[in-house]
Amino acid sequence: MNQPLIIEMRTIAQKLLAARTVGTIIGWEKGSRWYLTPPAFIHNEDQVDRLYFDRFAVNNLAKYLLDYRDSDEKVAVFVKGCDSRGIIRLIQDNQVKKENIIVIGLPCAGMYDRAKVEDPENPHDLPLLNKCLECRYPNPVYADRLVGEVSVSSESGRPTGTYSGFATAQSVGSRADRRFEAVDTLNNLPSGQKALLWQTYAERCLRCYACRNICPACNCAGCIFDSDRKQWTTKAALQSANSFFLVTRAMHVAERCVECGECERVCPAGIPVMSLNRLVSKEINRLCGAYDAGIELKSSFPLSHFNLAVKVGS
Amino acid sequence: MANSLDPAATADDVKRINALLPVKAKILRITQETPDVKLFSISTLDEQLPFPVSPGQLVMLSVFGMGEAIFAASAGENCLEVAVKRVGILTEALHEAKAGQTMGIRGPYGNGFSLDIFQGRNLLFIAGGIGLAPVRSLIKHVLNHRKDFGHLQLIGGFRSPKDLVFKRELTEIWPVSEDFDVAITVDKAEEDWRGHVGYVPDLVKKLKPQLDETACILCGPPVMLKNTFNVLEELAFSPENIYTTLEMRMKCGIGQCGRCNIGSCYVCLDGPVFSLAQLRALPDEY
Amino acid sequence: MKTLNKISLNSALEIFASYAPLYVPAGNETFSGFVRYSTGLEVRLDKNTKLGPKSLLFPRVENLYSYSNHGKDTEISPVPKEIEPTIIFGVRSCDLQAIVCLDDVFLSQTSRGGINDYNYRIRRGNAIIVALGCLEADGDCFCQSMGVDPSEHEQADLQLFDLGESFGVESHTAKGLNLSRLLENSGLLAEKKVAKPRPASFALTVDAQGITHKLQKMFDHSLWDELGAKCLNCGVCTYVCPACHCFDISVCAKDGCNGSTIRHWDSCMFSQYTEMAGGHNPRPGKKEKVRQRFLHKLRYFPERYGKFLCTGCGRCVALCPVNLDITEVIRRVKEAEIDG
Repeated sequence: MNQPLIIEMRTIAQKLLAARTVGTIIGWEKGSRWYLTPPAFIHNEDQVDRLYFDRFAVNNLAKYLLDYRDSDEKVAVFVKGCDSRGIIRLIQDNQVKKENIIVIGLPCAGMYDRAKVEDPENPHDLPLLNKCLECRYPNPVYADRLVGEVSVSSESGRPTGTYSGFATAQSVGSRADRRFEAVDTLNNLPSGQKALLWQTYAERCLRCYACRNICPACNCAGCIFDSDRKQWTTKAALQSANSFFLVTRAMHVAERCVECGECERVCPAGIPVMSLNRLVSKEINRLCGAYDAGIELKSSFPLSHFNLAVKVGS
Repeated sequence: MANSLDPAATADDVKRINALLPVKAKILRITQETPDVKLFSISTLDEQLPFPVSPGQLVMLSVFGMGEAIFAASAGENCLEVAVKRVGILTEALHEAKAGQTMGIRGPYGNGFSLDIFQGRNLLFIAGGIGLAPVRSLIKHVLNHRKDFGHLQLIGGFRSPKDLVFKRELTEIWPVSEDFDVAITVDKAEEDWRGHVGYVPDLVKKLKPQLDETACILCGPPVMLKNTFNVLEELAFSPENIYTTLEMRMKCGIGQCGRCNIGSCYVCLDGPVFSLAQLRALPDEY
Repeated sequence: MKTLNKISLNSALEIFASYAPLYVPAGNETFSGFVRYSTGLEVRLDKNTKLGPKSLLFPRVENLYSYSNHGKDTEISPVPKEIEPTIIFGVRSCDLQAIVCLDDVFLSQTSRGGINDYNYRIRRGNAIIVALGCLEADGDCFCQSMGVDPSEHEQADLQLFDLGESFGVESHTAKGLNLSRLLENSGLLAEKKVAKPRPASFALTVDAQGITHKLQKMFDHSLWDELGAKCLNCGVCTYVCPACHCFDISVCAKDGCNGSTIRHWDSCMFSQYTEMAGGHNPRPGKKEKVRQRFLHKLRYFPERYGKFLCTGCGRCVALCPVNLDITEVIRRVKEAEIDG
């Protein structure tokens, strides 16, 4: 991996902590397997050497900013392109105070698909995650600081920064134009088959809420699915209630999903959660014109802003 | 094995077959204790005691279609008495209920107060708000077996004078009972209130209850409990002589659903009555 | 030892299936679990399933009773439980050890009280467990470290050993013997002189010796703050765990008057798990929830029932979205400095 980049990350973290600019740095560290680079929380200078970044640093760290929602503590957070879109969404949803966070942008060469690991003990080559092949914003769209010579860009495009050539060679973004293919395939199934397929998925859903809890767009302080007290729905994993959950979740992240794909990655039941999100965003594009969530701080929202030109049901 | 229940099945039969099934019961009487507390007298459909409970034990009440919740129960003549404060959806449904309505009841759960330990001793009762309910069931037992116990003292705290639960017992019956001192404080007084004003721990500190041969029984909200423990220890009560009943969220009542544990103890099985000495040996998580 | 040629596996499964409802491991890389066998179903025996057999004994959702309100009166009727045997085929030692943990909870084999759970008792009493010994560890397996023998489990009714071309078949109980005889009567079993195969040493090991005792002094340790920061409080670990058994009881209303009271899985990770009606929550934050999960597995359950509530199946290790790895937690506990 790119050692100079990691050193640069550690240096910037060390400086921010030394100057007490922030109390916590949210980054990644090497995990318990060669194919795992989970989130890390760094609170003092002698911990900065834990910081690490490689092609397994897949977790979108934006979500953790919600833990600081009610505090005035300043935190710094490292972001890839997709993570930075999550941060913009959180700021737009008034969940995070811009002045309380320092966003450090990273160059991203795409993340590996750990589900394809064949030898848990010895490192080997892996394909990229679909979401990275389909990625249109590999560069941070928003950052206060940058490392690895990456540039901030709210234009969709090619990766920049230290290993842009490598990322391009690895085909980051090569399937960007075909990102709706999976949902189209599902959508074009004969209706009986389609219903049956989603019934199977709904039956499998454990209601573990991993998809919800890892999603930066799922940022409600309370969720009706946690509560049986109001009896909107049952907490029990009944197929009908699970369908209600899956659809409600997808509709609730409409216009907010930043395509980080974390929901689908963490689903223990193998439900293609991103396809549901994509289905909704495709409809938004069709009805309201092309729209990508979390690209610019000052954007207008297709669903929450009234526009006479939009003809729903057409 | 029976798959359906005989309508004449007793609580014991039901429990033997399926501990999570409630028996049908009915609301015999409802007494409005305070603006947000009602006392429910609950009997079997033919107006008998659903099952015996000892002071400090718990019962699970169901409002069919709304759910279940756990409460401290006290045995009345032909009924169980349960004081319910309106705090959530289920208690709200209970407060809407009318006398005569069918409901479900299962139990009793938990250890209750160990009555032998208190035998022959002076008893200091300290209760905050609805926490008086389990304490009252013990007081009732003590007054029914008055010669087995020594001096009695009750220190009760409530939000305001209108929040006094079991008001007749508190103000008319217990104060004139043999060798029974009753002191009441309210957080916030109203014009005609002539009693103490302030929090329970402060009143305990002020009254300096006697220690000799005394066991203290304490029940109330977690903040009150923790602060009063400290005051009692300052007064040199030993943790072995302080008893409390705890409240936790519970679903099964039989040590299986997992949520009411403090360390490896289940409050529904090993509690809800603990001595402070026992609690000190457990994680501080209640 | 009696042996069953692997070529005859399908015939054996057909015989089992005609004797009683049969559940077998099936699925693919994306999703696998125990499913009802029917002719033609492809059984997956190369590695353990993503979801264990827990839900066959302790379903994700089950009706306890139905109610019907008429005015002030209510009819309640318990949901009848059919008493029919069920065969669970291909259970690994880790998952069987987890069933032993569930037995402790639901059949209350403790001097500290508790009551048999009716539904569990019926299902467990009627389950016939055909266990399959493991010879090799999957990437996240560490059952040996948790005191489980991957190659066989004494609580199996019928134990299978992988002998390469065939399965060794050993019955431990009358129920197992019954199944074994069914195969024998169909001429599917042969008698061979073979030794029980021993499993390879597992790559992933962790030393769990003495951690229950050590954890007794670690309730306030900073480790929990650190782990809690990373945890998302989703329920993946608890729902894929073969031994986690916490549940909720709630109402599933059909309409204003009718419905049922159901029992369903719940997780100590969830926000309302311990929250009381008045709002007080003894385990309010991520730290307290994470601590409860690990202390329950490694300290509280051993204190109460004398065994770990973790059997080393590795599912939570494989599926945790943030790599909160229980073997790492055990290692950290071992290394932790504590006062006193």
